[in-house]
Parts: sequence; structure tokens; C-alpha cells
Amino acid sequence: MSETDENRSPYVESPVIMTTVRIVAPFTLTYGLVLTFHGADSPGGGFQGGAVIGATILMIAFAFGIEPTRDWLANRTVVLLSAGGVLVFGAVGLLPMLTGGRFLQHALFETVGIPRKYGLEAMEIGGIAPIVAGIVVGLFFVIAAGVHDVAPNNHDDEWTPLQTFDADTPSEGSDDD
Amino acid sequence: MSALSALVSGLPVGAVGVALAVFVVVTAAVTAALRDTAAIVVVFAAYSLGMAIFYAVLLAPDVAMTEAAIGAGVTTLLLLLAIAKTTRPADVDTFEAIDGPALLLVGGLLVAILVTVTQFPALGSPTAWAWDSPVSQYYIAESYADTGVENAVTAVLAGYRGFDTFGEAVVIFAAGVAALLVLRAEVFTRE
Repeated sequence: MSETDENRSPYVESPVIMTTVRIVAPFTLTYGLVLTFHGADSPGGGFQGGAVIGATILMIAFAFGIEPTRDWLANRTVVLLSAGGVLVFGAVGLLPMLTGGRFLQHALFETVGIPRKYGLEAMEIGGIAPIVAGIVVGLFFVIAAGVHDVAPNNHDDEWTPLQTFDADTPSEGSDDD
Repeated sequence: MSALSALVSGLPVGAVGVALAVFVVVTAAVTAALRDTAAIVVVFAAYSLGMAIFYAVLLAPDVAMTEAAIGAGVTTLLLLLAIAKTTRPADVDTFEAIDGPALLLVGGLLVAILVTVTQFPALGSPTAWAWDSPVSQYYIAESYADTGVENAVTAVLAGYRGFDTFGEAVVIFAAGVAALLVLRAEVFTRE
């Protein structure tokens, strides 16, 4: 919305790409969810599913613009997704220890009537998939940042290495905004 | 020509596998030979896609999915974004100048590696160590009873080696967060 000067923008508004992504994205998102949720009983798993889900968001960002996608999917959400994945994975591993078992001893879930495969499923669905999807999308957003313009920030004075890096990119004028 | 088709049909991966192998080798060579980085990224994506299909032909669907999503999809987008931040050099040579000594060195290395290929067990061989070892046989026979999941790959990764996988997940998280911090956290966390 705000990129009126598109001198070197990597985003080109293409009706072909937008229409294609509009049709394909629901299917790839569904495929990613199937890989994640059905990875225990068929090829796939949390890593593959998370990567496909992340790639779907990247696809949407390439078709409809990176900044609108960033506004739609807050960056904080993406980081929380990854951090939450690590916490869920760790929590699932620690739960058997409450009953005197060992770390990740899923068989002990059966003492409270939960099939042991749900321990693996929770690690894949709640742990690995969010970590991978969050990191993929986060890396994409952070590499995309600054391609259009230098984002508004007030920390240039404190970050000397970045300041020298910024000095090479001309005409940004964000020394004091 | 009939000798060639006899050779191809005798190979365990079949004609599709041979075609994919040729495609992968050609795209890999083109990736090394091209000079324009944007063209390299596109050819490299084609290489990854060919490799992903090749993995599927070799009956490794889990690896194929990872290669297609990460290798062909995410890596390509990240590299294109990184290139969008650079300037294009003025010279418009299509191909890199080939360095004779380097080519000789790489060629020698290639020959040395290809010699070892004959020592590999045949595809699907019942006496291949990866299949025949007691560990593999235990996983194949007991993974469903032990973990309750039908995908033996998931059973190994999340069950038998769950602690390794926890470490790997933390490594992905830590590496990602470190990259985000280095690549300018203040831009990333803006409201």
C-alpha cells in the first residue's frame, strides 16, 4: 500500500500470479496440514508439513506483496509460533517425568489412558511443525525487510555495524525519522 | 541405440530415473557454469525439483517432500530476495570462464567418487547392510508395537530418537532466531 516508489521493488503485481496463487494456496495449505497431522501414519511429518505451510505463506507474500502479508501476519506471531513449538516439544517430553518416568517416555501416557502415539503426534504437530513454519516465514520476512525501503527504526545510532552497512545504500534518509 | 535401451532398462531406477539423473547432472553443471545469479537461482530450483522427483522414484517420499518444499521452494525464494537487494554487474557474459586447473581437480575428484559407486549394493538388494542390519530389522518389525505409528520414519525420528529430534528442533529454533537477530531484529519486530 505504502510503496509508491517502485524503483527496485521485487514485488510486481501480476494478475496471472495472483490468480494462480489464489487457486493453489488453499490446496498447498491443506496438503501441509495433512502432512503434519497424518505424518505418523503416512509419508510426511511435522518438518515436511511445517515447511509446506511456511512455503504457502511465502507464496501468498510473493503474489500479494510482502508488506501486506507482514501486516496481516504479525511478526510477533511468527516468533511466538517457533518459541511455542519448542516449549510444546519440551513439555510433551517432560510430562512422563511427572509419573516418575524418563524424558520422552511416551509409553507412560498409557497409564492415564492416552495411546502412546499421541505423544509422538503432539511432538510433530505441536512442536516441529510450528518451529519450522515460524522460522521459514520469519527468515523470509526479515530478508524481505529493507528491500523496498529501510523500515522506520530509531536504533541506527546504537548499531554501528549496521550503520556502516546502511551507509552504502543511498537515498534512504532514515538517519533521524 | 538398442544397446543403450538395454542398458537403461537394466538399471534399477528405470528410464524415468535415468532421465531424472541426466536432468539433475545437467542442471547442476549449468548452475556452476552460469554467471548471472538470478539465472543460477532459477536453474538451481529446477535441480532441486528434479532431485525431489528422483527421491520419490527411489521410494524416499519423506526426503522428496523436504527437498521439494525446502530445496526448490523456500531456498529459491530466500535467494531471490537476497539477490533483489544486490546490484547486477555490468558485464553480461552468459557463462563463467572455465578455469583449467580447477576443472582438472574437480574432474579427478569426480572420477575418484564414481569408482566407489560400483561398490554400492544394488537398489533394493536384500543383502544391503542398510536393510540387513539387526537395527533396521528391529525397527521394521517392532516400531508399530513400540510406538503405535505406522510410518516407521516418524517412529524412528519422534520415538526411538526423540531426544535427537528435540535437539534438532532446538537447533532450528536457535539458528533461526540467531539469523533473525543478525539480520536486523529491529526491522523484524516493528509494529
